[in-house]
Amino acid sequence: MSAGPVLDVRGLSVRIGRHGLLHDLTFSIRSGERVGLIGESGSGKSLTSLALLGLLPEGARVTGSVRLAGVAHDVVGAGERAMAKVRGNDVSMVFQEPMTALNPTMRVGAQVAETILIHGGRGRRPEAGRGAVRERVVTLLDQVGLPTPAELARAYPHQLSGGQRQRVVVAIALANDPELLVCDEPTTALDVTVQAKVLDLIVRGVEARRAALLLVTHDLPVVATACERVLVMYGGRIVEAGAVAEVFTRPRHRYTEGLLGASDLESAPRGKPLSTIPGSVPPAGAFPEGCVFRTRCAHATTECAVQPPWSSADPGHGHACVHPAGVAP
Amino acid sequence: MSASIVVRDVVRHYRRPRTSLLRKSPPVEAVKGVSFEVGRGERFGIVGESGSGKSTLLRLIAALDRPTSGEILIEGMDVTGRRERDLRFVRSQLQVVFQDPMGSLDPRMRVRDIVAEPLVAQGDETGGDRDAREARVLELLQAVGLSGQAADRFPHQFSGGQRQRISIARALAPRPTILLADEPVSALDVSVRAQVLNLITELVDQLGLTLVLVSHDLSVVRHTCDRVAVMCAGEIVEIGRTEQVYAAPQHPYTTQLLRAAPSMRRALRGGGTAELVGGGS
Repeated sequence: MSAGPVLDVRGLSVRIGRHGLLHDLTFSIRSGERVGLIGESGSGKSLTSLALLGLLPEGARVTGSVRLAGVAHDVVGAGERAMAKVRGNDVSMVFQEPMTALNPTMRVGAQVAETILIHGGRGRRPEAGRGAVRERVVTLLDQVGLPTPAELARAYPHQLSGGQRQRVVVAIALANDPELLVCDEPTTALDVTVQAKVLDLIVRGVEARRAALLLVTHDLPVVATACERVLVMYGGRIVEAGAVAEVFTRPRHRYTEGLLGASDLESAPRGKPLSTIPGSVPPAGAFPEGCVFRTRCAHATTECAVQPPWSSADPGHGHACVHPAGVAP
Repeated sequence: MSASIVVRDVVRHYRRPRTSLLRKSPPVEAVKGVSFEVGRGERFGIVGESGSGKSTLLRLIAALDRPTSGEILIEGMDVTGRRERDLRFVRSQLQVVFQDPMGSLDPRMRVRDIVAEPLVAQGDETGGDRDAREARVLELLQAVGLSGQAADRFPHQFSGGQRQRISIARALAPRPTILLADEPVSALDVSVRAQVLNLITELVDQLGLTLVLVSHDLSVVRHTCDRVAVMCAGEIVEIGRTEQVYAAPQHPYTTQLLRAAPSMRRALRGGGTAELVGGGS
């Protein structure tokens, strides 16, 4: 295995129609690393995950580059035929809603098998016989903690609970031992106790494969629990990046600071007001020029009208804020 | 202290549509014999996962549904088994804020009419006087942090958080003494969630309301409520003062629920996903 990153994104920008939705994203993920991408609705986090798999809607103008380990071409500009070989093999994705991710007319075992068979030509696994595939399907369903996997493989998605469906989706995503797993709000539709199990399953699944994980969510405690590193998005830009322990305890960007304050229901005394960020997330295309957060920021000055530079040479660690938190004024 | 809400041995069974010609479908026991009281001015939380019966219980308290057996008293009056026209006092004393503000606000009505609707429906103190009603609407919009211009607009012109503010304004219009909130912040972004929670707490304090808050989110209930009931499969498995239940849960289900909820503090102390499922220390 090469020492280079599994995913290397440089200067990724996406425009749809007149609106610029993602601006100059640069980040990379190494093998075995678990990275969280957090942001509120409209921040561009889901669009980013779709861009990584070349799943953007028609008419999206994409610039920059997205390179995956083991894939000779750039994802940006790659044709559908080339990407079909990559998806589910080198990189796979788990979506929020398992019912729409699964085919309702196919038995779940057949759906797992399909992923294995479609990418069977890669030469990573010599087994091609039906029996071998069936065995592998049962093993995978067993690994994601489904009871009686052999019988469950014959069930249709509607016969399973939400948590079980999401387990099947994870089994499909991990079937070909991808280098990178992208999960977009994988547990948002699930109950707390089921969420705990599915999160644990995803983390154990990527750990066992030494795969990289990009976990996209709005839920800060989920990222803190499952990831080592975090990227904070707002208005289609990465505004802060760094180790979870650092960003969540000593945020630098004022948006991260506000987000942490607003979500911290644990340490705020009961019945006392929580700290808030004024206003709400503007709709796509309505973010201000310069610093995307300046219209809601209490520290904004005229300097913020120009896009603040990234604070360090390392795109994986730093912030884009002129008046960062945690420094004496 | 007299109780604002009394729930006694309340049971609610549903029947699913039959799937066989020969057999009746088995009844679904959504709420199985629940009893508790909520004191006047108290902030009471109900937590549970989907299917635990928490929303059914809330609908029963709001007299939007009737229990199969048991009784519910609102400010000392029995609401079970009454006809809708005999429930007027409940409709003015008790108001509900629902989870999805888009689903609970009529998209074709202006905000002015949405907020005034309970006043119109209940023949309020303004006695049909237009100016007095308009003044009350503006007062309510101001109380929830919206400008007077909001009155002329339609729900779709507002963000999720603002829509929830409109729902709250409407709920407060008939000057209720009890406010029920069913997952009021689960559809909102993190930065907006805090604003709406603050607003609810502030108004409940200011107006001396009794609050019943239903949520799947333990941290929301912990922040807002004095007392909490934990529901599981139609039953209350644990009930007590919030800090006590969270610090020293007595029922194994409560323990499991608390452990499963990801917490920033535990995570920063090094707790991984294994800890959520009970694998860690």
